[in-house]
Amino acid sequence: MEKILLKNIDKPGSHKLDNYVRNGGYKAFAEALKLKPDNIIQMVKDSGLRGRGGAGFSTGLKWSFIPKDPTIPKYLCCNADEGEPGTYKDRAIIDNDPHLLLEGMMLTCYAIGAANAYIYIRGEFVFGANRLDEAIKEAYAKGYLGKNILGSGFNLDMHIHRGFGAYICGEETALLESIEGYRAQPRKKPPFPALAGLYGKPTVINNVETLACIPAIIEKGPKWFSSIGPEKSPGPKIYGVSGHVKKPGLYELPMGTTLRDLIFNHCGGMLREDRALKAVIPGGVSAPLLTPKDLDTPLDFDSLAAKGSMLGSGAVIVMDESTCMVKAAFITNRFFSHESCGKCTPCRDGTPWLTKVLKRLEHGEGRPGDIDLIESLCGNIFGRTFCPLGDGAVMALRGALKNFREEFQYHIDHKKCMAS
Amino acid sequence: MATIKINGKEITVEDNTLILDAARKAGYEIPTFCYQADLMGIGSCRMCLVEIEGQRKLQPSCITPVLHGMSINTDSSTVASARAGVLEFLLANHALDCPVCDKGGECELQDMVHKYGPRTGRHAEPKFKFHEKDYVLSQVIIKNSNRCVQCMKCVRVCREVVGRNVLGALGRGDHQEPTSFNRTFLDCDMDGNCIEVCPVGCFMRLPYRYKSRPWDLKGADTICPYCATGCRMVIEERDGQLLRARAQLGVGLNSETLCARGRFGCDFVNSAERITKPLIRHQAATWAEALASVKDGFSGKEGKHIGGVAAATLTNEELYLFQKLMRTVFGSPNIDSSSRWNSDAASAFIHAASMNEGGVSIFDCMEADTVLIIGSHISDENPVSEYIVRRISSNRRMNLIIASPRAMKLDSSANVKLRHLPAAEKAVLDAITLVINAGKLSEAEKLKAIKDSKMVDLLTAAGVGVDEITDIAKRLSASQSVAIVAGTEFLRFPDGTSGLALLKDVLKNLGKKVTVMPTLDRCNQRGAWEMGVHPSFGPGYATAEKGMDTEALLEAAMRGEIDALYVVGEDIISDYPDREFARTALSKVRFLVVQDIFMSETAKLAHVILPGASFSEKEGMFTNQEGRAQSIRKLLALPGKAKRDLDIIRAVGELFDGSFGPKNAVLVLDEIRQVNPMYSDVSLLFNNKKNSDNRLDNRAALVKCAAGVLPAAGEFASKAVSSRMEEHSFALVTGSHLFHLGRFSRKSETLLGLIKGATVEICEDDAARLGFVSGEKVKVKGKNHEVLATLKTSTGSKSRVAFIPESFEDAEVNRFFRRGEGVPRVSITRANQ
Amino acid sequence: MSDKKGGIDILDLIKKVLFTDFVKGLRITLGYNVSKSITHRYPDEEKWIPYRRFRGVHTLNRDEHGRELCVACELCVKACPTSCITVVPMEDDTGRGIADRVAKIWKVNLVRCLYCGYCEDACPTRAVRLGREYELACADFKCTVRNREELLLPQPVPESIEGGLVAKAKFERSLSGIKVTADLSATKKRAW
Repeated sequence: MEKILLKNIDKPGSHKLDNYVRNGGYKAFAEALKLKPDNIIQMVKDSGLRGRGGAGFSTGLKWSFIPKDPTIPKYLCCNADEGEPGTYKDRAIIDNDPHLLLEGMMLTCYAIGAANAYIYIRGEFVFGANRLDEAIKEAYAKGYLGKNILGSGFNLDMHIHRGFGAYICGEETALLESIEGYRAQPRKKPPFPALAGLYGKPTVINNVETLACIPAIIEKGPKWFSSIGPEKSPGPKIYGVSGHVKKPGLYELPMGTTLRDLIFNHCGGMLREDRALKAVIPGGVSAPLLTPKDLDTPLDFDSLAAKGSMLGSGAVIVMDESTCMVKAAFITNRFFSHESCGKCTPCRDGTPWLTKVLKRLEHGEGRPGDIDLIESLCGNIFGRTFCPLGDGAVMALRGALKNFREEFQYHIDHKKCMAS
Repeated sequence: MATIKINGKEITVEDNTLILDAARKAGYEIPTFCYQADLMGIGSCRMCLVEIEGQRKLQPSCITPVLHGMSINTDSSTVASARAGVLEFLLANHALDCPVCDKGGECELQDMVHKYGPRTGRHAEPKFKFHEKDYVLSQVIIKNSNRCVQCMKCVRVCREVVGRNVLGALGRGDHQEPTSFNRTFLDCDMDGNCIEVCPVGCFMRLPYRYKSRPWDLKGADTICPYCATGCRMVIEERDGQLLRARAQLGVGLNSETLCARGRFGCDFVNSAERITKPLIRHQAATWAEALASVKDGFSGKEGKHIGGVAAATLTNEELYLFQKLMRTVFGSPNIDSSSRWNSDAASAFIHAASMNEGGVSIFDCMEADTVLIIGSHISDENPVSEYIVRRISSNRRMNLIIASPRAMKLDSSANVKLRHLPAAEKAVLDAITLVINAGKLSEAEKLKAIKDSKMVDLLTAAGVGVDEITDIAKRLSASQSVAIVAGTEFLRFPDGTSGLALLKDVLKNLGKKVTVMPTLDRCNQRGAWEMGVHPSFGPGYATAEKGMDTEALLEAAMRGEIDALYVVGEDIISDYPDREFARTALSKVRFLVVQDIFMSETAKLAHVILPGASFSEKEGMFTNQEGRAQSIRKLLALPGKAKRDLDIIRAVGELFDGSFGPKNAVLVLDEIRQVNPMYSDVSLLFNNKKNSDNRLDNRAALVKCAAGVLPAAGEFASKAVSSRMEEHSFALVTGSHLFHLGRFSRKSETLLGLIKGATVEICEDDAARLGFVSGEKVKVKGKNHEVLATLKTSTGSKSRVAFIPESFEDAEVNRFFRRGEGVPRVSITRANQ
Repeated sequence: MSDKKGGIDILDLIKKVLFTDFVKGLRITLGYNVSKSITHRYPDEEKWIPYRRFRGVHTLNRDEHGRELCVACELCVKACPTSCITVVPMEDDTGRGIADRVAKIWKVNLVRCLYCGYCEDACPTRAVRLGREYELACADFKCTVRNREELLLPQPVPESIEGGLVAKAKFERSLSGIKVTADLSATKKRAW
């Protein structure tokens, strides 16, 4: 497949504006400025692009919720707080092709009528933040940002806001709180950010990868875009594969590539031939894991949802049979309990409790009844938290428990690991 | 309107009502931790989850508004298991040291677990502990974070109601801890509202620490004895010691809020300095002897040589009986209720604020399009009124205009903050009136008075810019309704009252709805006036024979014309703005009777001292600044041989007229109801009942319109100051401190622990210019007096204004003043210079 | 039975001659003469040491480090059916108690108390126990109220002794009152 999102990242000097323009960059933006904003929204709607951050909401639809009143200030926030363990797709774009992101953001801002855009970048991405900073400076210098861009009368300013390493900032309303200078904790919805977001004004929040898709849609048309991948969730997708495979890395493939294809074809198969595949997490650690019997599932939003998992950020984590699932569950859960923001009770007090129990199990101090306890606690957390973080923690744990219950039981009965 | 079904019961509520409120209206209780009617909903505790038909997940009812046709289930087994699950999580890391915890017995978490909770604990893991020992967060707050349920009410009440924003959360997840920045010592308003809203024993009162259990306490639902906001509170005692005062959610206009003075300052009633027996020439005596001595002193004296001053901290019944005693028994019209300002100022203020037209609810005022607060440092003088203004203004976003020489906390909520020179209220109001009336001046007859004034002169006199005045005038002109909150500066500088009356009339002529609400700094100042403790009118502002006010009494005493003076609760020497004059004059009074609870400066000169009762030892009514008549209740026994003030006044009356009465408070109230048409409907039952929908406004308690029409007020000379001054020179203003008001607060151990020595507050720029830093000792030198005080700087106050609170004994601020002179000038220098 | 009326019953006569009834009666008396005595020679020589379950005068206990167990939670006050306990708490973080909350006042009115043991049940820290002291008689009303200091003193009968014993005792009379001191080293089982 022709690369769309990662087309430039291998080229030398790809982060420079000149090179980006030489490769056809900012053409879409210059053309779009001649179009009406509504046309752009319609094009994105037609393309069928769905948000790549995890929820898979239609991007064009999201934009169309923004009020059209020109007197109300509007904002675009780019969610570059790539915090989901296993995910590293946005970073590649930010580090090596920042102008692709900027162009996508410019198009979005033009479409929704925003004069200010924020890039909320994860605090650990120091290199990326510097790259973006340089790129924005270049764009200002070349007149792609600032007042009266390319003579169109459109004004746009971009700001980089660096986070401080909180996973919850990936949640869109927590991200807004963080930009506003408050504690990063999710806000109540409704009102949705499209009506009252940043500083109480209409705001669009999009993932880096989503925004990076926009220039191609404008340039090549929605039809071309929707022809890639399955009908319901078209377009290219960057899969970030990690774990026990021969060639882990980022793979830009059409949506709907099957797991088997991804692991055994693109990634060159399992790391050690003598160890069989045990489990795959298809979309970041909050996605429930899949087992080898699900290998033929296409990796897109709907097919994975049908399997009880989710595409999430497209971070595929492959585990072979040497992996202890109790340990994996413990580590995953420890992450969530550490990253719980503390706002709502079930997530704040429930996930650390789960971690304590899992830690005991992992260290051979399990007690009879622990599995029931875990299941009961999961039930008390799931669906009762403020934001999806708690749900994510429970889904991951439940996935492991559903498929590998006997391993948990073994830990309790034998005080040691089944896999070793 | 939306029609919804709750547990099968159909109910129609207004759109955007929260499910929680709708359910409570329908009679179903939903447990909550983080929900509080006056605070922004955060939906974080998850106790209030309910089942909504057609929705996959349980929804938090405290932030979810109803939608037409919703079917809600609040009692299902899923909901019950969710509640039990949440409580189990809350208990997982909860310290569970209930036997030690001061909240034990009145803890919401205990109650909830008893009602909804899991019956067995499954958490067998080590608990996370924030700290081992409780830590002190301020002079009044001690904190144990291990008990926290993270409802964040403390943080929100601090930010949204009190406006201090000194609390926040440290850490994340289960390590999240609502506390001060880095757990450092708080420098805040010390109002303890965070303690009150805390559902568990996380924020606790330091003065009440380990003193009692809730079931040991006997309480009385009463009214705060400090400022005139009229906050409802419950005072509680154990073994005769008043241990704490607390507000109640949904009761009184203050709901769960109080200020530092109200919450921590009522311990003055426990003071060992209380006068417990009658004294004749400072020798202990029996009541019979003391009364005989009073009889001797007053017998055969002519009414015009007798005077009476009763403090505005007494109840309506006592004040009524006092003026009746003076007018009918002694035949003396010389009655006053304050020594800080003269009676003409009071008359003019009553007139300008239309107090004779009946009570005005503060909640009505806040319904206006524009609220103008002038002549009051409302943040320090009436903190709870300020909370109400802040809370409503952040929800309603009306125009809020604050005109004051000194910066205040409420400025952050204001659209326009005007910093004018002290005593320049008239110039400010006239300038606003001029701008509003630009072009139409000749039409109105009443405007003649200011027709000749030049805008430039007014602006110079007020020390303000024309843009600010224009802005204010524009906002006032654009509003349909205007509320003016006028404070005590109008009493200190009464020339401002004519400006207030004029602006009120002009706005009314423009077809606007204008309400004026006075803010006062003594709990029953309004009641004192309305009971007729005033030399020019009787109960209900009825015209009466004109007598002498405190000032005139002192002048007459100076001439040797006062034979007998009866002072109840007032400390004339400490309050009259010329201490030396007051002292000399009082020493010339031939027979001085002082009835008080503490040995005041005035009492030290008295021939007979009669021990009275504090607010916690008697029953009666206070009328707050809005005109809300609310009753106080007896809680404690009288100390020693002290008697209730009403009984003493009656006993004094009976010395001369055996039939003097009525005999008790209830009968006095009956008589007030007959005599004073404003109070014809007032009842002792006028206490706001606890209400679930948080409507705090009890309109039935507001007094009615007076019968007669007040005579127009006279004109007053301006006491305005010039803005041109030498380098170290400041205009001195005074008023109440946030922690100290009047004299009672100076006997409160807790409040003295907050601040003991006097402070002088100047603006930060002046301090920088003179090289002073906040907290250093400075010498404040006036023409007549000098004091050492701690310098305090404030950001955004008018330059060249120094403020010394009036309560501090070590800075007797009234000694800076001289009769007949305007605002005193003082110079501020380093203490060691 | 008409024939009985006339003659003399020989058997009866023999019984009378041999003092049979007399011997019968004396057998009980004489039997006690040679049996073990169950009377305690209290207070002169012996004193009864009750079982652990006995509910006597309250005691306040300390933990193994000597810290007072009582945290002055006042639950005993709340539980008491006769309101005979008074507790006033105070703060003391010098290590006097197991928490920084300790009792300033802890007193019990022993003549009001009905020794029901509810206070024991209510106590969350097992600080208050009903002990084995039962000698309450005194000539002065003051001593019917025991305060914290007295209740904290070590009990005359340590917890280790199971009770149900009779100990040798000494009766002492002094100006301060009367006292029966048990010698716990010389005890014997109760004889039944």
